[in-house]
Amino acid sequence: MSWETVIGLEVHAQLSTNTKLFSSASTKFGSEPNTQVDLVDLGLPGVLPVVNKDAFKKAIRFGLAIDANINQESSFDRKNYFYPDLPKGYQITQMTKPIVEGGSIDIDVDGDKKTINITRAHLEEDAGKSIHDAYPDKSVIDLNRAGTPLLEIVSEPEISSAKEAVAYMKALHQLVTFLDVCDGDMSQGSLRCDANVSIRKVGDSELGTRTEIKNINSFRFIEKAINFEIKRQIKLLESGEKVTQETRLYDSGKDETRPMRSKEFANDYRYFPDPDLLPVVISDDEMEEIRSTFPELPADKSKRYVSEFQIDESEAEIISSSRELSNFFEAAVESKNDPKLAANLIVGEISSLLNKDNIKIDESKLSSDNFNILLQRISDGTISKKIAKTILAEIWETGRNADEIINDQGLVQIRDENLLEEVITKVIESNIKQVEDYKNGKDKLFGFFVGQVMKETQGKANPQAVNDLLKKALNS
Amino acid sequence: MDNKTVETISYLARLQLDKDKKEKITKDLENIINFVDELQSLDTKDVAPLSNPLEKVASKREDSITSKSRKEAFLSNSPESDQDYFIVPKVVE
Repeated sequence: MSWETVIGLEVHAQLSTNTKLFSSASTKFGSEPNTQVDLVDLGLPGVLPVVNKDAFKKAIRFGLAIDANINQESSFDRKNYFYPDLPKGYQITQMTKPIVEGGSIDIDVDGDKKTINITRAHLEEDAGKSIHDAYPDKSVIDLNRAGTPLLEIVSEPEISSAKEAVAYMKALHQLVTFLDVCDGDMSQGSLRCDANVSIRKVGDSELGTRTEIKNINSFRFIEKAINFEIKRQIKLLESGEKVTQETRLYDSGKDETRPMRSKEFANDYRYFPDPDLLPVVISDDEMEEIRSTFPELPADKSKRYVSEFQIDESEAEIISSSRELSNFFEAAVESKNDPKLAANLIVGEISSLLNKDNIKIDESKLSSDNFNILLQRISDGTISKKIAKTILAEIWETGRNADEIINDQGLVQIRDENLLEEVITKVIESNIKQVEDYKNGKDKLFGFFVGQVMKETQGKANPQAVNDLLKKALNS
Repeated sequence: MDNKTVETISYLARLQLDKDKKEKITKDLENIINFVDELQSLDTKDVAPLSNPLEKVASKREDSITSKSRKEAFLSNSPESDQDYFIVPKVVE
């Protein structure tokens, strides 16, 4: 029997604001526990929440990017449940009037393009963090995260495989980082997803019973968790059993999903309008301001790089796909460096170093300023491109200034014709056989001679000068 | 409003009610629901939903950090804490 999969994703993006959604406490990650807690986050009686202007700005920017409707009047509701990391006993969220409704995101799975519609994106507050292994019979609570603004992005159930889910998540990741809506750091929980998965017989119009896999925090785990869940559900249905609607957790160690502890009562959140919060109205002027500061998105960037700087389309695509890389590239170009050279090094040498260490460019020891120096030294002929790679490797390890490395290690390019002629003579004299072959028509050997000269000069010879002088010497 | 519903609601609100209280609350809730039923019999087809009786809109705050850590004070006011954390009963097995 053949089955088809129906997946809807709920993605929680932590907004990269300085302060919380309703209080002016910091949202910085990794601080000492319980030092970023305000009276409002603690839910003490008598305090009132006040909305953060920037959280709305970022949510609206996201809405504009996916071509959604922006509700210029939105409101907040209370979602009631008890858990120790939720001090108020309710989460403030937008149930009835979310800030963003509709819109869509384009994905690409191995060249196949598809559009996933978005149901809504609403603002809500994050909970604190519970830690269960600090004491044998107690849990402990850190409220630094409590009240951090989240944008919950809900897709329509239009995703039909684990691969599509990953492509959707990657597209979303790229979008929110470019928009500066979220830092996208999945290992810190800045972007995490719940997957609603169900299966049905091909051709059925009704949806099967779904399960919800909670809090998946990496692209790899999304694919694995969903694939496990699809197989599990197919096995159940094919053996005549039923899928139970429940919430499950993905255990990456065992590569399986398992049910979360069942609650005695089904969830009943008893949503109602939060009487502490008035409706939030975004004026036309505010909308205009948000539109006017809308950042350039990857596809537009890529086109501009090609037309403005004449770099390769494939290089432009790679650079523009990452916010960090495009900032790095743009900084180099702004300092009047050769765009083609900069693009070339970023896509080649620097990308492979980044992949090797699995880091982003702003986490590396290569600063924009130092990269500028390196580019200038290649352009002004001080060093060859080949030597530049050696210098890059050294900067990667030590972060030292490119000029310092060039001077200390005597890497300045040799263009002194007398010196080069000396080397060439030496190469010719010690390769008499090859010289004969070359003269008898084996043109390909020219590359061999260039290589020998480079070897003798530790790669410091100016390639153009070597070419010219070698030709002269060999043809004489 | 039957007994079972009152029990469910009080459980969800984590309120423990003795028998007398439960009877009184059942009556109160019944009155409230009857009152709401009466309201709902009105034709509000052309009236926009009102999410807040104050006809005002929220003022928004700039995104700047003004709150300072009051960790010690907060922790010392909780039923149980250590140097860094609030301590609560174990919430998972």
